[in-house]
Amino acid sequence: MKPPRSRGSRRRRDREAALGAPPAPGPGTAGPRRPPQRVLSGVVLDASPHLLVLHTADGERRLAMTGETSVRHGGLSGGLAALTAGCSVVVRQAPQGPAAERLWVEPARIAGTILACGRGTVEVEMGPHRGRATVVVPPAARGPVQVRHPRLEPGFLFDAICVRTPDGPRAVRPGTPQPAHRAGRPAAASRSAPAAELVQGTVTWFGDCVSAPGRGAAYPAVDPEGDAGGCAAAPRGCVPLPYLSLGSEIGVHNECGGHEGTVPVTECGCAAARWCDRCVECGTSPRGRLAELTPEAFVALGGDLEKGCFNAVLRPGAPAPPAGPARRRGWAW
Amino acid sequence: MMNTGLLTTGVLDTGVLDTGVLDTGVLDTGVLDTGTAHAGVLDTDVLAGVGNAQVPLLAAVLLLAGAAKLVFREPVSAPVDATGRHRVIGVPSRDGGRVLPWRRSRRAGVALALAEGALAAALLATPALAARVAVTAVFCASVWVVGELRVRHPGSGCGCLGSLSDEGVGRRGVARAVLLAGAALLALAAPDAGLRVLAGGPLPLALAALELAVLAALSPEITALRRRRRKVMPCERRPSPLAETLETLHASAAWRRHAPAVGAAAPLDVWREGCWRFLLFPARDGGAPADLVFAVSTAERDRTVRAALIRPEPEIPARTLAARQMK
Repeated sequence: MKPPRSRGSRRRRDREAALGAPPAPGPGTAGPRRPPQRVLSGVVLDASPHLLVLHTADGERRLAMTGETSVRHGGLSGGLAALTAGCSVVVRQAPQGPAAERLWVEPARIAGTILACGRGTVEVEMGPHRGRATVVVPPAARGPVQVRHPRLEPGFLFDAICVRTPDGPRAVRPGTPQPAHRAGRPAAASRSAPAAELVQGTVTWFGDCVSAPGRGAAYPAVDPEGDAGGCAAAPRGCVPLPYLSLGSEIGVHNECGGHEGTVPVTECGCAAARWCDRCVECGTSPRGRLAELTPEAFVALGGDLEKGCFNAVLRPGAPAPPAGPARRRGWAW
Repeated sequence: MMNTGLLTTGVLDTGVLDTGVLDTGVLDTGVLDTGTAHAGVLDTDVLAGVGNAQVPLLAAVLLLAGAAKLVFREPVSAPVDATGRHRVIGVPSRDGGRVLPWRRSRRAGVALALAEGALAAALLATPALAARVAVTAVFCASVWVVGELRVRHPGSGCGCLGSLSDEGVGRRGVARAVLLAGAALLALAAPDAGLRVLAGGPLPLALAALELAVLAALSPEITALRRRRRKVMPCERRPSPLAETLETLHASAAWRRHAPAVGAAAPLDVWREGCWRFLLFPARDGGAPADLVFAVSTAERDRTVRAALIRPEPEIPARTLAARQMK
């Protein structure tokens, strides 16, 4: 047995030592099952009509640009002009070969609770670990944003797909498919509802390539005790999910495209727990955000950063509960 | 004869004064002054009675809040380390990030409960203005606090009744705080101590009971209490305080069996997955360093503990590893 390299793998080793190896996962969901897409994220070093040079976490990477490569910037087809040195991008590679198939330039997403609204700006509290941000809502985006956020008032939720600019995030389109509700009033799941092995709902993305690099997920039910890494004041979401910790792994299956993969929990998703919306990318999903993925992980699992969500099935992967009387129901006190 | 009405009749009935009683101006003024004085006494009595009714009401509310804080503990303690900093990932929150976790800590809960109990005792025992002013200040401050929580931390409960108040502050919560602050202001005019009011007539008590019913109708904690009594939360979703886990661990047979090997009082790592909380301790296994991991159930009752001693594989020297890879 090799010494564990990361906290997640060490915790997995310790868990299996104490409880034994987990049983093989069940059959999962119906429909096509495809591996994650090939995705890179990083900072542009150089861009030409035929070559894109990126600085990634694994070093310098070179990707071929073709006539089929689509460059998206701020909700529009940006072209090569958008690829300036120093900008951050998420690149979805072609299924075969080193060519770039689609690029998103400076993607960002701001979701949280509205603190204040100014003339064309919205100040948003994104949770205790993400801080605050002021989003500029330009006139072109104001109409679509107000359709999903008819009450731009303090205390209501806000979610916008943005583009990073030197002046801060600029809203491009709303991120939620339904009108947002008041932050303190999510329809919390029943107290006695058990967490299912497979949970259906919506999976979204968060942050940008700088604040949320690599592949990871913000999970709404991270334990706040000890070194688990959860937020102290996280609300109980509208989906019954088991408590996990940073480093735990969740399985995500994209019901729209069939891509599926395992993603480590890297952040507390208390902001996602406030939302009780659905995704309507392919049919209507049940209510509730199951996880927020980093941009790279979201694209790898078949998501489109401009659409903001996909219908998903989540496998939280919590170990089996203790057998016997501990599972029985009764009076709480 | 210039006298009128009652005075004249009175004078004639008594027969003491004859026509010589002509100072009607003085007599009339005297009668009018007496009437005004009666009305003033009546107003003061009503105000004192209403104020008196608030004293047992406020004492009951304070006692209830204090007892609830002791019985219904906050589900989680503050995730702060010894230096007072957050242990959660990322930057600590800028607004309320220290106050809210502090408020959820057990020590703060006990301190607040004791303070509320002391204020209630003062209200019951003495009519001193200082106690009334302190109570008024507390309830007025609570209006500001719940207002701030509603706007700035919509998901955070006020903790007014311990963990029963874990839902976000709504309009009803604000209305309840305003009503209590109003009651505290009225209590400033109460002449009697709470115990004396309790021993007195039924009217103030009836008024206090009515107000208590209104406050109960405005309290979301009643619903939370009813829900809490209904079903046990599944272990994978149940908030389990770390103190409870440590208590279970230290009382377990697995801990007693492995205690001699444990190399530190505090665990190196604590994390949770579903129904299990894991605690990793440094240990010695036959003189060699090892890891000792405990898995403690987070169930409501009948919690089980499992343990495993892990001897880490010795690190392979880089030269040997390179040689192996070459083969």
